[in-house]
Amino acid sequence: MGELVSEIFTSFQDYLNREQVLREEIRNIVKDIEQTAREILTILQNIHHEGGMKEIPASCQRARALFGSIREGYKKLAEKIMVDQYYRYHDHWRFVTQRSAFLASLVTYLESGHLASRETVAEMMGVEVQRSAGFHLDVEDYLMGLLQLSSEMSRFAVNSVTCGDYSRPLQISRFVAELNAGFRLLNLKNDSLRKRFDALKYDVKKIEEVVYDLTIRGLKPGTSSSNQAGEADMSDKA
Amino acid sequence: MLKAFTLATFYTVVCLFTHTSGCGRKGRSDRKHDGHHGEGKNKHVIGDKAREVLESIDVNSPVIKCFQQYAAELDFKHDKYERIVKLSRDITIESKRIIFLLHTLDRDSKRETVLMEAMVRLTHLVNVQFKAIANELKGEDPYQYMKAYNAGLQEYIEAVTFHHYLTNNSLPSWSKIQGDLTYTDKEVPSEGDGRSIATGEESTVVTCSTGSPDKDGSFETHVSPVDYILGVADLTGELMRKCINNLGSGNLEGCYHTCTFVREIYSGFLSVNCTGFKEISRKLVTLRQSLGKMENACYTIHVRGSEIPKHMLADVINRKQDDFLEEDEGFY
Repeated sequence: MGELVSEIFTSFQDYLNREQVLREEIRNIVKDIEQTAREILTILQNIHHEGGMKEIPASCQRARALFGSIREGYKKLAEKIMVDQYYRYHDHWRFVTQRSAFLASLVTYLESGHLASRETVAEMMGVEVQRSAGFHLDVEDYLMGLLQLSSEMSRFAVNSVTCGDYSRPLQISRFVAELNAGFRLLNLKNDSLRKRFDALKYDVKKIEEVVYDLTIRGLKPGTSSSNQAGEADMSDKA
Repeated sequence: MLKAFTLATFYTVVCLFTHTSGCGRKGRSDRKHDGHHGEGKNKHVIGDKAREVLESIDVNSPVIKCFQQYAAELDFKHDKYERIVKLSRDITIESKRIIFLLHTLDRDSKRETVLMEAMVRLTHLVNVQFKAIANELKGEDPYQYMKAYNAGLQEYIEAVTFHHYLTNNSLPSWSKIQGDLTYTDKEVPSEGDGRSIATGEESTVVTCSTGSPDKDGSFETHVSPVDYILGVADLTGELMRKCINNLGSGNLEGCYHTCTFVREIYSGFLSVNCTGFKEISRKLVTLRQSLGKMENACYTIHVRGSEIPKHMLADVINRKQDDFLEEDEGFY
């Protein structure tokens, strides 16, 4: 009888040990991904630096090259995680996934001026989109990345003006206004995503102020009056 | 702890007093007390036995001997800690004053004198207070006393990096700062006050001071890299104020320049992994805010610079920043 009980506990101990080992492995992989993500972030910070605007394509290229090791990292991670255990260890990579989603969408925006879809971001990170397909990009993590993007955009708008680029804030304004409209369609629960979303309106406001400052000074580049009206209209709605 | 101890002794003294006087007097209030005392005769009163032991104790018993030694050791540690805390407070206050002095630097004509004076005062800190701390730390594990002085140290780093930025437009490295706070015994102890206290204490209490001098006779106030980085993070707050003050004096160029410098520091902070250092992450939030203010200031100069007279520009920008400037420590 006593032996039976002790056996139960021994096997439970084994189970705990295995999980501990797995968590340790996950932590190490995540640490590597985080390191790469920080490098990408540092490269992309250049867009705020004086004279960095001209180097945007080069910065994006370097960033894209580094995304290669992010993909590798996620591949390693995917091998460790059993299909139905994603959310069991989700906390370990939640932060870095949000950060990577942000970086991927930032690169996409800088290159094309468009919002990166969930598919694009997932592809850049080397993960799946649907849960059924394996290690995937959680939708909340993706949205969190987009919200981080909007804050970066408001800073970018301010700094582009300082660097003498007056057309970029208008693009950014349109982009973020659209993003804001999109987020309004979501039914967010009162959680971290909701809290982060509440900060979006300040980013929108900031960018609108920049556009306003440019408009009243006639600094908006080469736009016809009708176009200007459309712009103002857009800002109003947002 | 001391307070608790005195309270306890006071309580026992009061108890003893009531017991003895209660037996002598006959009064209504004493009856209750007597009854209690009577009961006490049959029952064991807690504390009696302890008192007995206490009275019959041999001062030379090994346990007492041991504890006397422990007491000396503890006192030695506490005293050292307190002395370092005092030195640290002096450093904090003086560093804040130096930073304040450096903020008065708005005209080129003042530049030389202000920087000179700040330099002299910083050197004084290094040669007196920090040297005294270094003396206290001789032969000790610096991390044991780190909490006693890291507030002062961070403030000093803030001041010294600020000064360095104003003179050289760059950030001094950790090794430079550590180098400043490393001393050799060959130096003539010009400021002996802190030193004599320290050595005096060490000679009276021999029990725990290892007092082993380093091989080459050098000793230091240890600067942990984390304290250095935290000091740099504080510096950015000062640079933000400097940037805004520059507007007031019409130095728009300097404003851009400072902003770029802080941006570089911010990029640097982003490139390191701060998990596990809560304080750094907290400072990073503040850093992000101050950088935001500075970028807005530069933006305003750029967009409105031509419209608003320079002396009013500062007001326009300041109005936006009021919320932030409020949270200064206010310690001049």
